[in-house]
Formats: sequence, structure tokens, C-alpha cells
Amino acid sequence: MASVTGTSVRLSSVSCNLKQTQVTGAGISGSASAFFPVNGRSFPSLKSRRFQISCAAKPETVKKVCEIVKKQLALPDDSAVTGESKFAALGADSLDTVEIVMGLEEEFGISVEEESAQSITTVQEAADMIEKLKQKAA
Amino acid sequence: MNPLLRSAMIPMNTLCFQRNFAACSRALVPVQLPSRSETHLWYVVPDEVKSASLLGQYSKILSPCEKEYISCVRGERLKKTALLARVLVRTTIARYQTNGQVDPSSLKFRKNIHGKPELEWDENDHGSPPPIHFNISHTASLIACGVTVNSPIGIDLEEKDRKIKNNIVSFARRYFTAHEVEMLSSIPDPETQRQHFIKLWTLKEAYVKALGKGFSALPFSTFTIRSRNSSRNCQSRDLSDSSSSDAEIVVESVDGSSSLMNSWQFTLLELAGTHFAAICVESDGSIGGRVFTPRKVTARKTIPFVEDEFHPGTDAVVLGGL
Repeated sequence: MASVTGTSVRLSSVSCNLKQTQVTGAGISGSASAFFPVNGRSFPSLKSRRFQISCAAKPETVKKVCEIVKKQLALPDDSAVTGESKFAALGADSLDTVEIVMGLEEEFGISVEEESAQSITTVQEAADMIEKLKQKAA
Repeated sequence: MNPLLRSAMIPMNTLCFQRNFAACSRALVPVQLPSRSETHLWYVVPDEVKSASLLGQYSKILSPCEKEYISCVRGERLKKTALLARVLVRTTIARYQTNGQVDPSSLKFRKNIHGKPELEWDENDHGSPPPIHFNISHTASLIACGVTVNSPIGIDLEEKDRKIKNNIVSFARRYFTAHEVEMLSSIPDPETQRQHFIKLWTLKEAYVKALGKGFSALPFSTFTIRSRNSSRNCQSRDLSDSSSSDAEIVVESVDGSSSLMNSWQFTLLELAGTHFAAICVESDGSIGGRVFTPRKVTARKTIPFVEDEFHPGTDAVVLGGL
């Protein structure tokens, strides 16, 4: 069921994506020097020290997340899944998203708060959250 | 022309609107609103909608925002599902015509703070708003829209055959409540366990959607959904007797603050033979001491503007209890 929402995956209904949830720290890159769209809004790069807490995810992390997403959604290996891919646009419903998060927890040895789990909507958000949690655990 | 239309006052723009649908044999058949104790469930099977010209006509009734969303969706199949979902919502609400003929493309929607879509109504233009509540759910192979009057509603669909990638009990330990884990763990047959998991998931999703909150605002580990049997032991695990008419599906808060939870009514059904569907509606009955009366669900299959089918007893089979 997806049953969305403008595509907040959790509600499975289809309409314009104007999510009102807060932007997580993962959406703000402290090291990249390019615009980094999150939920349709762009955040210019900032090299200020206070954003160094959350780093842009390593490419290999993003790649691993893409693999897990493709596997959960039974997408062919060559399908175009990138950091910017939105789960809902790939056909993920809320159950898929939760399964993906569980797969990420197992793969990376992390534990995701439920509140965060359902607010992840793109591959990049998932990868950034993983980096943040790994840093905390380190 | 549909005789119902002939007898109604038909504004010019509606006539022109109808003429554009050359591929269609008839207009949207108007229907009466459901009664306060009834839920209407309209559904579309995407694989049965094949005509490219029909899909093209459907696109025309979407808002610019909806069209933009669909352009972001990857893949033709998913785009089609997204399109049909919006068309189903718009045409379904338009059928209820509480303020005369309604052009489905004129309906406006907004989201609540958690993202749940609601009808946005301009009283100056259209008079008092219809008391319609709706909620939609879709899978790759089915799209459904539930409609009630005066009661918030949430619905969820899952394919009966859906495979769970993770271990079911591990999943439940992570996301469900202790009672639900116990219930799932007690099912020896993996297939029955999987089906029970799917049913439980749809019920929990329907509940958070009815509340208008969604998963992150109301984690699944904070409430238990289970069957309550009025005449037998509540802890009965006789899942083979799922057609018991005494069984009622109820929700309970894990922390014991359950005073408001009796107002939620659940219906679990098998839809179109391929899906489990859960419907959660806020009832206006008294709390405590009330007699359990199953809510009536009227399911209709539709291809908007083309045909509607109603097969009572086979489209939607209510499953008593979990």
C-alpha cells in the first residue's frame, strides 16, 4: 500500500510533494560544494563549522543503500537508482521503506529511531543518516 | 445520454466536459452518499485500464501539481498507477454531487500537517462542503478509495501474496508490540504467519491513516491491534476460525491510556480476490457497553467514465476478526 501522499510514503496517496516535516540534519552537507536538494528545496553549501556534524555520505555508502533499495523493490540491477531517488517514486510503499530501513540496520550495524525511519524519503537521506549514526557509535 | 443527466440541470461546461471523453460510453454515474454507518469502497484494477486515449483523457483532469508529481515518478507502470490513483479520488468524490454536478478536475485538495490529503472547499463558490471523508491506498495491482460521511477514515491495501524480505518475528519485535509478537510467534505455519502479518500491517496502517498521522507520528509499537471475541476467551488463538461473527478487531494503547480507542471501528476484507484491505473509521457510537455491529462496506469496481461494477458478496469478502 503505498498509500501516499504527496508522497509521504507512509500515507500512500499520490499528490504534490509538499511535505511539512522538518528537514533533518542529514540534508545539510558540510563538505560538498554543490546544491543539495532535499524534498524539492535546495540548500546552498555551507562551509561553516557548525554543519560539520553531519557529513555527506561516502559514495560507497550511497551505493550500498542503492543496492539494498533495488533488492527490496525487486528492481533490475541496471535500473537508475541514485542518491536523489525518492523511494516513493521508485514504487516503495511504507512497508517497503520499513523493510529497507531494517535491511540498512543489519548491513551497517546501526539502529534507527522509528520517528526517523519513516521520514527517510530518498536514498541520500538514508545514506546520510547511516553516516551520522555510525559517527555517533564510533 | 445517461437519463439521470438528462433530467438534471446541466451547465454548459459540464456538457462540453462530457463530450471530450469520446472513448467513454457514459458519464460518471452519480451515487448517494453512504449512510453514517456505511463505508463505500471504490477500486480500480490498473491492468484492466489499457486504452492510451483513455489514460490521456484522465491526465487532463489532474491539477498541475499532480501532473508534476507524476512526471517525477519513474517507469510507465508506476506513472499509470499514480495517475489512476488521482483520477480515482477525483472522480469518486465528484460522483457524490451534493452540490449539483461536480467537475472532477475542479476539486481542490490540501494536506494536513502530517501529509494526509483532504478536500479543500471554497464555501463562497460552492456552498457548504460535502461531509465526505476519503482515504486512498494502492499497490502495483490495485487502487482503492474509501469514502465515509462525517467519520475520519483510513484504508490500506496489500497484495495477499506479498513476500516479506525480513524474518517476520524479527520485524515484529522491532516494530510491533509485545502482544502482537506473541501472537505472530504462536503461528506454526509460515504461510499463515505471513498472511497474519500482512493483515496486521494493513490494520495498523489504516489506523494511523485514519488518525491522519502516519507512521512517524504514531509508531506501530505504541498500539496493539487484535481480535476481541465477545463470547470466547480473548486469548483464543484459533485463527482457523476467522469467520467468527463474534470477532471484533480492536486497538489498544500499549501504555494503558485506552479511553478513546473504542471509537475506532475496523473492517478487514479480502478485495478482488487478490488483496487484503483494512478500513478504519471513527464511529460516533457510545464508548463502552456498546453492542458490536459490523460496519457495512459497499465495494464497487470502476473504470471511471467507462463502467462501474457491483458484485456484492464476491468483490469484497469481510474477514471476521484477525
